[in-house]
Amino acid sequence: MSSAPHVLVIDDEPQIGRALRAILTEKNFRVTTAARGEEGLSLAAANPPDIVILDLGLPDMDGFEVCARLREWTHVPIIVLSVRDSERDKVAALDKGADDYLTKPFSVEELLARVRVALRHAAREQGAPASVVHAGQLTIDLGWHVVTRAGSEVKLTATEFNLLAYLASNPGRVLTHQSILTHVWGPADAEHTEYLRVYMRQLRKKLEENPERPRHLLTEPGVGYRFLADGEG
Amino acid sequence: MHHKPLSVRLAGYASAAAFVLIVSLAVLPARGALGTAPIALLLLIPVGLSTALWGLGPGLVAAFIAFLSFNYLFITPYYTFLVHLPSDLVILVIFLIVAMVMSQLVGRAQAGREAAAAREREATQLYELSTALAGLRDPEAIGRVLVTQVQNNLGAEVTELALRSPMAVTLRLPQEARHPDRLPDLAVPLQATETALGELRLWRPTPPVSESEQRLARTYAAQGALALERASLGHAEARAHVLEESDRFKSALLSSVSHELRTPLATIKAAASSLRGGQVGWDSPARVELLAAIDDEADHLNILVGNLLDMSRIESGALRPQRQWNVLTEIVERVLDRMRHALGVHQLEVDIPPELPLLPVDFVQMEQVFTNLVSNSAKYAPPGTAIRISAGVRDPAEVLVEVSNRGPHVPEEHLERIFDKFYRITAADRVTGTGLGLSICKGIIEAHGGRIWAVNLEDGFAFRFALPLTLDGAAPLAPRPEIETP
Repeated sequence: MSSAPHVLVIDDEPQIGRALRAILTEKNFRVTTAARGEEGLSLAAANPPDIVILDLGLPDMDGFEVCARLREWTHVPIIVLSVRDSERDKVAALDKGADDYLTKPFSVEELLARVRVALRHAAREQGAPASVVHAGQLTIDLGWHVVTRAGSEVKLTATEFNLLAYLASNPGRVLTHQSILTHVWGPADAEHTEYLRVYMRQLRKKLEENPERPRHLLTEPGVGYRFLADGEG
Repeated sequence: MHHKPLSVRLAGYASAAAFVLIVSLAVLPARGALGTAPIALLLLIPVGLSTALWGLGPGLVAAFIAFLSFNYLFITPYYTFLVHLPSDLVILVIFLIVAMVMSQLVGRAQAGREAAAAREREATQLYELSTALAGLRDPEAIGRVLVTQVQNNLGAEVTELALRSPMAVTLRLPQEARHPDRLPDLAVPLQATETALGELRLWRPTPPVSESEQRLARTYAAQGALALERASLGHAEARAHVLEESDRFKSALLSSVSHELRTPLATIKAAASSLRGGQVGWDSPARVELLAAIDDEADHLNILVGNLLDMSRIESGALRPQRQWNVLTEIVERVLDRMRHALGVHQLEVDIPPELPLLPVDFVQMEQVFTNLVSNSAKYAPPGTAIRISAGVRDPAEVLVEVSNRGPHVPEEHLERIFDKFYRITAADRVTGTGLGLSICKGIIEAHGGRIWAVNLEDGFAFRFALPLTLDGAAPLAPRPEIETP
């Protein structure tokens, strides 16, 4: 990106808007803020942003609708802001097309990391989809179905590979339990989170240096999983 | 009897008449052999029995018919109502008097017995009603009992109970019956101390409703009104009790929380203002200290707010865990990761076997449980000692989790009470905390169908909780096994 990336913040709390504007401007982003859903949508249409930060609790319309309306015409990354204990809302926002979420209160490092990851993947998506994904010591060849760790091949079962491939081809994005289960096991097994737990444990054992503190295959409590390449988290 | 239907009463008269005629005809062949006196005595039998069987009226009719048939069939000249012999006339007159008096006496005794039985029946019915009503607190249930009893005991075709607001329901029996077109045969108000609570109406196939039945209906209505009034008083009392409890809870919460919120706020304010005011040099190590303090205290506030939310949900019964199959290690690692900074002076040990089955728990709520248990342990355990989290399957249906520390023992008598709201063993000013953390743990664990308790160990203190290993009675499904492709 040649010019400074443009961030649109849609949040009705002025303090949050003020803080985000200060932090992001300091980090060389161009920041626009909107306090209402409609305002945010028209600002986005008038001056398409590179990333949207969206609060789920807005006075005029709910955040899910803003997500859905944005998704009608743009693939811009959307990060939603939500509070603890609203896992259902997070899942609903992700289903409506959001890419990621942050639980309030969040640290600036967390926010900036998510923004950077989202921007990087948005830029990559505009080109051809990557057929080889690198993450630390891992190389995942999606075309040839080959996974290597520090140069030596790792043997995976078919389901393990499908699961890894689905996560790795959406790096940085939070994928909900349901979407992973539907994609890997099929719609009939969409509620069987236990499959996912078992396979994720197996995958971590094979791929992570410390399976108890994974760096690439991350759990999003009550919501789903996220694949992170190195240096992104 | 008043409430016998007309057809039954007519049948009584007819039977009495028939009885007398049959006996007369049966005796007829013997009229030559027997004298008039024995025949008169024989004819008294159906009179007496008729009165006993069918009551006073039929008895009198029997007496009169017996008199006529005696005169007509058995006194010369036969087949006339004439009397020739003076002795026959005496017998006839005495017969009439005896028959009348006897049927009167028998009839009265009979009526008395029946009245007594009716009173007894009424008393039993009232007793049944009051037993059925006792202990009912729901106005509709009370209404249903009342309608059923009236319907069954007063021989009603349709019974209706219209309760006024706030209940505002109309109950009708039989349920499929439509509202009759005519006015009710009996309507009794349900009179409470101040207002009428409703009206009891009944329709009968054969009016009229006797006086004793009206009395019974009124007694029923009074009983029903009493029960309704008692129920509404009970409700009001229960509501008042809940309100009082929640009021006491709120004021305890406020006093506990305002103190507890102010401490981190004071730290944050002091640190932020000194940084902003430029009192601290850019390279000063104090700067890093102050920033860390702000960060930590903000996290502390966040936990506090989470606890407050959980507490209010537990109090209002709105805490419903979203139970999903989860890996315990993941939950624990996440909590420790987040708390590592705040737990600087303690060592953390985790001993959870890798083969531990999946647990059906709400990830976020269990995070709060571990956060509270670990931060409580950290408050009491001496610096430098270890806080240990371990877990294992206890019996096939349960997992047992322990969070232990090297802290001081808790007196046995406090062990249970530490899970009560706002309960502190030590003086409030010595250890910080709202006194909510452990009671929230209890609320969450119990909402998961588990139990939590505390024990003194030989060299420390431990929280333990047990959780079921099944979700809606089922274990997690195992995915189909697979072979690794080369």
